[in-house]
Amino acid sequence: MVHALREAHRVLVPGGLLVDLRPAPEHRRVAIARGGREVHVGTMRESFDDDHAADRAVAWALHEGWFALERRMRFGCRRVMETVAEFREWVADFDTRRENPSHEWLALRLERALEAAGRGRRIVASGPLVLNVLRKQDGVRGAPRRRGESVRGAMIAIRRGPRRRISPACGR
Amino acid sequence: MTCVVDPERNELKALRSIAAWRGRRVIEIGCGDGRLTLRLASLGARVLAIDPDADAIRAARKSLPERFAERVRYRVGRAGRLSGRKQSFDLAVFAWAL
Repeated sequence: MVHALREAHRVLVPGGLLVDLRPAPEHRRVAIARGGREVHVGTMRESFDDDHAADRAVAWALHEGWFALERRMRFGCRRVMETVAEFREWVADFDTRRENPSHEWLALRLERALEAAGRGRRIVASGPLVLNVLRKQDGVRGAPRRRGESVRGAMIAIRRGPRRRISPACGR
Repeated sequence: MTCVVDPERNELKALRSIAAWRGRRVIEIGCGDGRLTLRLASLGARVLAIDPDADAIRAARKSLPERFAERVRYRVGRAGRLSGRKQSFDLAVFAWAL
């Protein structure tokens, strides 16, 4: 992950932006939706090891002075599926990639809930996404750093967001 | 397959709010089947989208709408070794890829 950030730093123009968009480390809620109403069926049990590793990589890039955190946003994202087969396919994909525990228990619960709900129902998995915006700096490893620019300080910054907001224009 | 991701287009709204994308040179790292790539192209960006999964890149190329053909290029590649020259992109997007 750190290599990827270093590569991104290399290919970006001075002042260019790095956009890091990914799910927040929070368990997704799965529901059955019908006619504007959602009935909660279960909460997924994802592993967040990769998310924490990504946070550490970003914190390292900030600590090294490659980037400065400009903005952090958080917003909801829903995935709407029609069948349990689609749910199983989606979950199998990221269960494999993330070494999550099996979610077959939830698929079985969804099967029962769908049967009971009748026609016109959908499966909805929802959870927040986070979007970190980092601006390229000309950081040099070993250069003197300002107070609060420790890795720990950077970790806190990427979890809470920057102290100030910036103009949306991207550098070129 | 009838799965719809982000029907409210919150992702697109957030992306639109952080930068002026029109005409920008963007590298998208971890593009998968190109779902987000098309959203970036719809904002006017010129996108080089990479992913290590050759099957996903094949699928993305196949489903690339004609109107974005000039603006989007897909390549098999890894985040740790990007093909772009030094300082050749205005924005780099890690789409669920870090």
